[in-house]
Parts: sequence; structure tokens; C-alpha cells
Amino acid sequence: MARGSNFARVVALIVLGAGAAALSNLAASTQRKLAWVGSYPRALEVGAPAAAAVPTPAAQVAPAPPSPTAAQSTAESRPANPVPGSTASAPAALAAFEPDLAKAFPPHPDKAAVEISPDSALLLHRRKALFLDARRSSVYAEGHIPGARSFPVWESDIDARVKAIYEEGIDQRAPIVIYCSGGNCEDSHMLAEKLYMVGFDNVLIYKDGFPDWQKRRHPVATGANP
Amino acid sequence: MSVRVQIALGIVFVVAAIPKIADPPAFAHMIYNYRLVPGGVINAMALVLPWVELAAGIGLILGVWKREAAIVAGLLLLVFLVAIGVNLARGHAVDCGCFDVRSAGKSRDELLSEMRWVLIRDVGLLLLVAQVLAATGPPRWHRASS
Repeated sequence: MARGSNFARVVALIVLGAGAAALSNLAASTQRKLAWVGSYPRALEVGAPAAAAVPTPAAQVAPAPPSPTAAQSTAESRPANPVPGSTASAPAALAAFEPDLAKAFPPHPDKAAVEISPDSALLLHRRKALFLDARRSSVYAEGHIPGARSFPVWESDIDARVKAIYEEGIDQRAPIVIYCSGGNCEDSHMLAEKLYMVGFDNVLIYKDGFPDWQKRRHPVATGANP
Repeated sequence: MSVRVQIALGIVFVVAAIPKIADPPAFAHMIYNYRLVPGGVINAMALVLPWVELAAGIGLILGVWKREAAIVAGLLLLVFLVAIGVNLARGHAVDCGCFDVRSAGKSRDELLSEMRWVLIRDVGLLLLVAQVLAATGPPRWHRASS
């Protein structure tokens, strides 16, 4: 009786695995699904952008702008007109945002994001700036900054979420604060680059993230909604 | 002895595969953290690798295509060893992602220490694979008739 070679069976095991993966991914929920081809420009870069948070007194009405040294440069430059028909970055739109905050946190069209201190994050939260949570949706549901929207950068619908926020016509020069799990977490930076690529010019990263927010005993919301 | 080693090895692979299959995005994140795989390949790897791990584990437990399953297990262990070894050598601390794909929030020193242990553990598992291969005879790389 003929018997298959080791090599053919090894290949068969791998093909079996790939087939099962394809079926599993097809049946997976949005939270579990993955696009087969990912887009991670920094995948081979070792070492996270290591910029210290700039302390800013929360009590100040117009805090000092984030230090340029805390800026994260972008891996790729943004297209001159990132999204056709973009009108949201008109100066009039910026004026609609509170002028003192616009002055304290000016847009930075030359880089994807600027890191801010915990005090700046608190100030911006009190002034109703838009907060985005880049962690997994399941982690978001366990606890998040009140009002923050879930933008799980590792889940399959992230590009749709970015597109949706763009289409809301949000002022692209107003501060948007992104956070994740602090420490070495890079999810905020990944989300910042996605937002930058569609034209958002004022993304601020709360580098110490949700663990710091909790440590400071600021309010926390739970559940799937902001 | 060999059968027990084979089953134990199979259980290790099945247990390691399940959390990765349950949460592919988290495993993709783990692979990303290693900084060794081009961005375009990360997701495909995160999807396929755990299922191959599971297939190898089941093969070892059930004794079906056990030699081939052991070869696949050995190849996977070699990939893991290289990934951990390269990052240890360059001082880049990563969560192993071997049995748990959620970041444990450990410090850099804790992670580096854990990576050394993972390296030793994977060498041990590779020895078990060698034992299974030795017990199942020489490879048949060509179709043979009996």
C-alpha cells in the first residue's frame, strides 16, 4: 500500500491550518476578525517613540503648548490633499473651537501626534475635547475615560471608524486626545497615524494612558458606550 | 515513554493554540511587538499559525501523522526560538504571547527575564520533539510502496 511522504503530509497539515484559519476568520465577529493583509508601517522598527510627557498645570486657563521635543515624527508623509473634498480644516472651523485651547494646543500639520502630560489630558477632558480610546473594545467596555469613543486600532473595523469620524465633519484642527494602556503601548500612535492620514492635524497622545487616569482617581465609565 | 512524551507535547501545542485562535487581533499585536515580521504579513501569520499549531498538537495527541506533526511542531519551535532569541540579543523586551495573548503589563526587566526562561523552555520542547522523531524512525521523503 502506498504511503504519503513526510513532506506531503507536513504541507497538508499547514494547508489544513490555513483552511481552518480562513473559515474561522470568515465566521468571526468584528472584534475577532482580521484583514488578511495588515498595514503596519512601523512593524520592523525596534524601539517605541520615547518622548517624556510634558507636565502642564491643569489649573492654568491657557496652558503652555506641548513641547515640540515630545513630537512623534511620521513614518510616511501625508498626501497633500488626504481626503478629496476635505473642507473641515478651514480656519473658520478652528475658530469654532474654544480660542484659548486652540492657542494652547495648536494644530501640528507636520507631524501625526504630540504627546501630552496627564494634567493636559485632564484639562482637555474638562473642556470637552474629543477623546478616543485605542484599546481593544472588550477592554474599553471594562472601563474607559468618560465620553471617550472606542477606536480599537487592532480590530477589523478601525478604518471604517476613522472614515466615519472624518465624515462627521469634526473640526480637523481641534485637539483630539488618544490614549491606550500607557507604558510601551503603541496603539495610540498607530491610531494617530491613521487620523493624520485622513487630515486630522491636532492629535494629542495621552502617553500614560488609562492606567494613569485610574491611578489619579479620575472618573471612569464602563460599558460599550462613551 | 515516547507515547507519553508525544501526548504531553501535543497538549502543550493545543493549549498554546487556543487563546490565539480565540483572539487573532491580540495575537497579531503580539507578533507586531516582536518587530521581526513585515507589516503586510502579520495578520496572515496571526490567523494561520495558531491553527497549524493546533493541527500539530491534535496529530501528536491522537497519534495521527505523528511524525509529520512532530516535524511541524519542531519547525514552529524553531521560529519561536529565533523570534525570542533575536529580541533578547537586541534587548527588545516583548511579551512572549505563547500561552496568553493579553499583555500582562510587566516591566522591561521582568519581560527580559521571562524571555530567557521561554528560550530554555522551547529548547526543552525541541528536545522532546527530537525524542518523538527518533522514536518514529527515519524520514520518508519519497513516496514508497509496500
